[in-house]
Amino acid sequence: MIGIVLVSHSPALAHAALDLAREMVPGDEPRVAIAAGTAAGGVGTDALAVAGAITELASADGVLVMMDLGSAVLSAEMALDFVEAAGVDVILSPAPFVEGLTAALVCAAGGASLAEANREARRALTAKELHLDSGPWHEPKKVMPPDIPPAGMSASPAEARFVLTNEQGLHARPAALLVAALSGLDADVRVRSATRGPVDGGSLIGLMSLGARSGEEMIVVADGPQSMEAIAAIRAIANRNYGD
Amino acid sequence: MTNWITRFAELVAENRGYLTELDSAIGDADHGANMARGMAAVSAMLETHRPDSADELFKSVGRTLVSGVGGASGPLYGTFFLRVGAEAGPVEQLDTRLLAAALRAGVDGIIARGRAEIGDKTMLDAMAPALDAFDAAVGGGSSAAEAAVLARAAAELGRDATRELVARKGRASYLGERSVGHLDPGATSAALALRALAETLSGVTG
Repeated sequence: MIGIVLVSHSPALAHAALDLAREMVPGDEPRVAIAAGTAAGGVGTDALAVAGAITELASADGVLVMMDLGSAVLSAEMALDFVEAAGVDVILSPAPFVEGLTAALVCAAGGASLAEANREARRALTAKELHLDSGPWHEPKKVMPPDIPPAGMSASPAEARFVLTNEQGLHARPAALLVAALSGLDADVRVRSATRGPVDGGSLIGLMSLGARSGEEMIVVADGPQSMEAIAAIRAIANRNYGD
Repeated sequence: MTNWITRFAELVAENRGYLTELDSAIGDADHGANMARGMAAVSAMLETHRPDSADELFKSVGRTLVSGVGGASGPLYGTFFLRVGAEAGPVEQLDTRLLAAALRAGVDGIIARGRAEIGDKTMLDAMAPALDAFDAAVGGGSSAAEAAVLARAAAELGRDATRELVARKGRASYLGERSVGHLDPGATSAALALRALAETLSGVTG
């Protein structure tokens, strides 16, 4: 299994990023060494500490080095001159620090080679880019206060996103609550998840067919005279943890 | 040579606030603090560890800066001194030609490490003209002291010329056009290093 070295200006940042990434690794974890902060305990990087971290992991099947920004890169490059272990394979990864580490840790745990883990780490921003690039985010979007429909007109179609914070996601009971809340409103509501839909928000079976799980997002688009009330009604249910 | 380092440390400490002020305008405001901390660690190291030879001296200085400075100046000045030491070799004194070669190796190290070019608004914009002046003087038969004085002048001119440059490296590069009108902090500390060399070799301070 390959090892991973984290180079960061901040020990807190490095440890937190590692904790976050570890959540994704169910079984055996790769060995990780952290070189963060200065010898004096301040913010900054130290090439000798990086060399020490790489040397510590030299018995692994290669070492992937993740860096935050700026001088972390210079320090990591310089560290290679000081590594006291002959023949260790090292890649300095240009991947983003948080997303890249998560991808690399998961791949490494699955037995990936150094080159494979680096490839995945480098692509780690893609999920975020694809998700957001397919939305309306090339320009600023005006955010409306959700529970106050503008007087005298309906701002439609209105779109809102809700994360399913409850444990079972969009199962029968929350779906039933949504259908009931929307039934009296003069609005056409379409709901989709990241991967399925859109479905009619007034259809119990339609909502359940999204199979949206805890932590996933529901994207709601409401049209019609009471589109704002529809969004507000869904928000009220979301705020009550979907009735769970 | 130890005197050069100690004088550099003194100048950095004296100018710590100024370096920080420059770095506040076009950076993350830590160049003064970083360099002062690094050079203080160097001074402390030199008090307890009297190196016998030039390579020992510069290697210790380089390694101390790498660990003590924290920012990009750590690897950059660290590489400079490590390369100076490697080129100088296990000698007690450096003659003029060896000093020129060692300083040139140091600057080549900075270029290899930081991958800056002249005009990027970095320490190189002071170091490169300084070395060219040093080499030209030595080639023309000057003593080390004379060459160092000329190199210092060139470094200070180079530093002053960074005012109108647009930063293309380091944190300042995030500012783009807004970096114009300010001296580069790295070029400023580099000019102090050359001033320390000139003062030490010529015996004249100021």
